[in-house]
Amino acid sequence: MPSGALLFQSVILGLLLGGLYALLAAGLTLYFGIMRVVMIAHSAFLILAAYLAWWSHTELGIDPLLSMLVTVPLFFGCGVLLQRLLLARLRAVTLTMMSVLLTFAIAVVIEGLLGYVFSGTQRRIQLGYGSASLELFGGRIAVVKLIAFGLAGVALAALYLVMKKTTFGWALRATIQHRDAAKLVGIDTDRVAGFGFGLGLATAAIGGTALSLDTTIYPSLHWHWIGPLMAIIVVGGLGSVPGAAAAAMVLGLAQSLLQIELGTTWAQTVFYLALFLTLAIRPQGFFGGRLAQRF
Amino acid sequence: MPELELVDVQAGYGRAAPVLRGLSVAVPAGTIVCLVGPNGAGKSTVLKVASGLLAPRAGKILVGGVDVAGQGPQRMLANGVAHVLQGHSVFPEMTVAENVLLGAYTLKDKAVVGDRTEFVKSLFPVVADRWTSLAGLLSGGQQKQVEFARSLMVDPKVVLLDEPSMGLDPKATTTVFEQVVRMRDAGTAVLLVEQNARRALETADLGCVLDLGRVHISGPAAQLVADPQLAELYLGGRPAEPRP
Repeated sequence: MPSGALLFQSVILGLLLGGLYALLAAGLTLYFGIMRVVMIAHSAFLILAAYLAWWSHTELGIDPLLSMLVTVPLFFGCGVLLQRLLLARLRAVTLTMMSVLLTFAIAVVIEGLLGYVFSGTQRRIQLGYGSASLELFGGRIAVVKLIAFGLAGVALAALYLVMKKTTFGWALRATIQHRDAAKLVGIDTDRVAGFGFGLGLATAAIGGTALSLDTTIYPSLHWHWIGPLMAIIVVGGLGSVPGAAAAAMVLGLAQSLLQIELGTTWAQTVFYLALFLTLAIRPQGFFGGRLAQRF
Repeated sequence: MPELELVDVQAGYGRAAPVLRGLSVAVPAGTIVCLVGPNGAGKSTVLKVASGLLAPRAGKILVGGVDVAGQGPQRMLANGVAHVLQGHSVFPEMTVAENVLLGAYTLKDKAVVGDRTEFVKSLFPVVADRWTSLAGLLSGGQQKQVEFARSLMVDPKVVLLDEPSMGLDPKATTTVFEQVVRMRDAGTAVLLVEQNARRALETADLGCVLDLGRVHISGPAAQLVADPQLAELYLGGRPAEPRP
């Protein structure tokens, strides 16, 4: 039986990890909601952002957090272009299936480019505050994990406010919920869908920066992320942002607790177990259903 | 001059054969014009062409006498043509308030939006009563009224209604038809498409019978209802008994 302190630390770490999962899954589920696209390349962009944060710290000597000033707008633009130039050309009937192939190809291209430019060597940011930690009831929590969670939390809150309070957010939700009706109230749904994609990819920029703070990165790391993220959005109910966030917290916590007994490799299986159970018992997702597509 | 007039319109989907083959119909101000006809006659397509969801292949679409054929939904809305789709078309996971206010998406002036909101709330009491509910939780008839309210936010000259009574119980159907009359009386012309042909013609001022993509017969709705041959062909049997 693990000690109380270890258990407590695992719970905290699980919640912190869950926050990052929540942000990334929110982006992924947004794409699906907007145009039924399965965006395999989401985690490749995540690793790309992590590399850019690492590069700007190592080569330019600036704090990795500052790299977001460039990567967030850059990724937003990439998302808009990706949707308008590539995904919008897919035929509606086969869109979901073809989007898997298309975004898979994009993921492979990004991975290849990262390997070409930065080589396959494992990289890690060495930060002044990298090894600092807080002691809390006998558990130790790394400061960088708190920063990562804070970033994810702020980004999710911002996403929520955009969706709830801005004209664009209303137009995006309307487009997701009934595209033709959205057109008929005068919304330029193609444009809104493009911006929605940009928004989703911007979450990958923030997530990647957060990830770079305390993770060793390498070009093929994205394959380790896309599986859990896909599982999360299915468990949460495809297209449901709150569902994705809830599922992310629960599964992140479960993963962290299982690591105590099973080690990191086996703990990862909790995602696939949850995916399997969801598809078998409740395919519309545990937090979706009526909640699906709701913000 | 009619508020909306389609002249010799041809339209279809993709490369398939045209659905509308030289269709002409006019919606005069202050009237309800009803299109009836069998399944596949092209009734919904007429509305999609009129609201800009579908570009016509040929023909004219006149709003206030100006040809606006080929303009998209945003421009058609600005021209004063609003469209309420068939089936459920509320934004289900948004509140009634959000749904109705999205109807004013293209309006800039907040004072105008406020006035229109008060107007549609008074016209459709259920909108005011359920203002903060999620639209998807309302009954079918209530949702239809939210859709009507949303379409009236821009104060359109003409509103296109695609089978508003579809899937509604008789009581809700009666309410919906009453609301259609109230919309006309409030100054909006209506182009109505209905399966429930007899009921629709009894509500409408003018009627057109559509078959194979053209208007076959048109005239005052009361005359069409009374025509025995028409009743046999399109309205399912004998003409209605005269009401006491």
